[in-house]
Amino acid sequence: MKDNETLIQTGRHVTQFPADVSLCAGCSSCEIVCSLLHDGVVGPSYNRIFVERGTISMIHRIYACQHCVDHPCYHACARKDQAMCLDENGIVYINEEYCIGCKRCIKACVFDPPRINYVKSSDKSKRKAKKCDLCRTRPEGPACVEFCQVRCLGISDLPDERR
Amino acid sequence: MATLYGYVGKIARINLTDSTVTHIPTSNYVPKYLGGRSVCNKIFWDEVGPGVKAFDPENKIIYMTGPTTATGIPTGGRTVFTGISPNSYPEQYAWSGIGGWFGAEVKFAGFDGFILEGKAPEPTYLYIEDGEINFLSARNLWGKLVHDTQRKLEEIHGNDVKSIVIGPAGENLMRNASITTSNDNVAAKAGFGAVFGSKNLKAITVRGTGTVIPADIKKILELRKKMGYPQAQPNPIHHETTHGMWGNNIPVEGGWLRGQVACSHGCNQHCNKLMLDMKSAFKEEKVNHVEKCVSIFAFGYKEDCCWVPIQTFETKQNHLLPCKMLSGEPLPPDPTDPHFKELYDLVPGDIVNFWEPNFDKGSIINDLCNEYGMDKWDVIVWLLPWLSMGKKEGVFDGIDFGMEINVESEEFIKYLMDSIVYRKTYYGNLLAEGMARAIRALGKEKFGDTIYHGRYSQVVPGLRLDLPISLETAWGHSVHWQGRGFEGAINKPGWVAVNLHQMNSTRDTQTIAHHHDTFDNYLAVKDDPCRHPLTAIAVIKGENSAEIKDSITCCDWQSPNLFWTDMEAQMFEAATGIEMTEEKLNEAAERSKLLFRAILMRNYGRDREMEVNAIYPIMTYPDPWGQTCTWEEWNDLVDLYYEERGWDKTTGWPPQEVFEKYGLHEVADSLKAIGKLPGCR
Ligand code: SF4
Ligand code: SF4
Ligand code: SF4
Repeated sequence: MKDNETLIQTGRHVTQFPADVSLCAGCSSCEIVCSLLHDGVVGPSYNRIFVERGTISMIHRIYACQHCVDHPCYHACARKDQAMCLDENGIVYINEEYCIGCKRCIKACVFDPPRINYVKSSDKSKRKAKKCDLCRTRPEGPACVEFCQVRCLGISDLPDERR
Repeated sequence: MATLYGYVGKIARINLTDSTVTHIPTSNYVPKYLGGRSVCNKIFWDEVGPGVKAFDPENKIIYMTGPTTATGIPTGGRTVFTGISPNSYPEQYAWSGIGGWFGAEVKFAGFDGFILEGKAPEPTYLYIEDGEINFLSARNLWGKLVHDTQRKLEEIHGNDVKSIVIGPAGENLMRNASITTSNDNVAAKAGFGAVFGSKNLKAITVRGTGTVIPADIKKILELRKKMGYPQAQPNPIHHETTHGMWGNNIPVEGGWLRGQVACSHGCNQHCNKLMLDMKSAFKEEKVNHVEKCVSIFAFGYKEDCCWVPIQTFETKQNHLLPCKMLSGEPLPPDPTDPHFKELYDLVPGDIVNFWEPNFDKGSIINDLCNEYGMDKWDVIVWLLPWLSMGKKEGVFDGIDFGMEINVESEEFIKYLMDSIVYRKTYYGNLLAEGMARAIRALGKEKFGDTIYHGRYSQVVPGLRLDLPISLETAWGHSVHWQGRGFEGAINKPGWVAVNLHQMNSTRDTQTIAHHHDTFDNYLAVKDDPCRHPLTAIAVIKGENSAEIKDSITCCDWQSPNLFWTDMEAQMFEAATGIEMTEEKLNEAAERSKLLFRAILMRNYGRDREMEVNAIYPIMTYPDPWGQTCTWEEWNDLVDLYYEERGWDKTTGWPPQEVFEKYGLHEVADSLKAIGKLPGCR
């Protein structure tokens, strides 16, 4: 954990419930549907949510963008307001058309691991940062939450809807 | 070139002898051979002729993903190994499925599968990263337990790699050694872990950042909701006070903690039990295990578990997915079903008195198998009951195992497994050859066929059920859902079908294809199951659906669904965009099955006589009702089966026109050339 992580005020974000509410089954469905719906592919460089597998403990952790209120990734972006953008609800999202793959946002992310994914490609024009946009244009809401089979994912500011 | 949806396009030929890699286009095989086991069968048929032994460098391990792997289609994360199995008796071509995250990662790294050939000059592991395959020294990994190996590989390559590894059992060529993923998924039945060992191959570690592109995302999302219905429930960690299967629950002092986890990439279920804070066989600290059905019997097995027709014979209103049963989430039974009473007619299991329930000891047995990397079936279902029954019948009197035989004792189990895995003692070395071979070396009449007198029926109170001390069925495997020995008071219509599956195979079939049929068929066949074509037809359906499952790929715990018969065709279409119907998928399954048959005929001389003689003996022992099968009955059923398949009844060989019907002209020609088509004899 980076030193300043505790000082960050986070926004509305995808969150993992504790194991006494619902234990992550480690299936990767959240990663899969995220990249399928955003990019039409399945691949570890394309998902915007990450399952960190406890390979020995079998206890898995989920990481996703926290939509920090002061969003340093946004400020660091070389193409701010074109590539990294902010919407009226405080959602920090990437307009990939303009992303030049400079990785500045990734370096600026206050969390460890950084909550931004990156597509490596020999074709440099295809190198892109990918981050959770809370599925902002999806009427059903975040796909990862909908397709988590054991419902161990939810939205941070709706704790009562956990179950 | 048009996008080949679902597949990533190439198979790696990996030569361990000279550390070279070549690439084969996947399109050489698909879609004719679907993927998974079908492609493996074709490659093996083309590349490995008769005379090769399991541990020869000429044996090949062929590993294939399916078109659904890493597409988000539930259960597609399962993948398949094939090769010559050291654990089958006699050694024959076999296959083994595996879950986990490895298969998906192989695809992200740019491969649909690989062919492992040759033998590395020294302990080696493969590190695959985005299309690059590196041969690295495994000197520092050799000798390590399974989880230590997994941990070490993550230390070296980062914790996002996915590995399959072998443990000391594989290194020491124990014939039932497994290949194991980080989440305790195994390819174990065929003993391919020992083939890895014979090739000096400790592990394969992979990282991929590429993509898999499926054809129809909308359909995939639909399948995610519809397969395995109802959707899984929230999954908190539970405190349990008992452990076991239906009718065989044992109290656990102080209780234990259970979670449920998925077994493979993208699965929509969580059938595996995560057992937290369990006693370890190797260290003071507690460990977490992932366990599935057979492990349960390590903990306690005084009585068999109950069986009801519903687990094999189903109606539209009442059919259960096994994955739901293991996670404890089946749909409630529908009592409006006219067959409701018969379907849920609970049958008490047999009293077997193999060993007393003991939770800690069970945990130790499972930990030993997990860490040494070996097949749990052979230990829990065969080795330990054999020792228990044999001791009670006095067959081991005068034999010095180096420690008194006592299956109730943790210390004895640890001692025994250690001496087998490391081949430390005379008997350890012998048992490392697997139960079938060890028993024959000792003398089958005394050490295999001696009758155990401690089994009693609870269906017919007081009826003693004679059982041999070795629970062997065909091809060097142990009984499983066969109405005798382990797992369930299953009745004759069920077990004759199960044995027919087993007869046609080279390994335990029920670990990957539990028999399913409709309850209507059950009613039709139940009085004389061996004389009814519906028994043979259901077995053929089950066999074909197993080919499909291992080819496209899906999991035995969700497939087949008798009342959603084009599910697999929909899965294939969603992944590949190639139009598929149930009929076409069944044709592909027939083709795969015929290739398997052709390999067995050409390489091992398989024919009717060999098959009938391999399976028949187990059916001469009584089921819980005291029923057996006569030689005539069994041969009548075998006739019906070959007839339905269109195969020759005398030899059990498919004729030329059957091979040709499924596009296998060259296969028929090769068999003809060696006199192995019907009429050639
Ligand atoms: S990417 Fe990192 S810094 Fe940016 S909003 Fe998300 S969590 Fe905060
Ligand atoms: S909310 Fe949407 S974008 Fe964010 S992780 Fe979930 S699926 Fe991906
Ligand atoms: S979908 Fe849910 S259960 Fe599956 S890995 Fe993601 S958070 Fe865990």
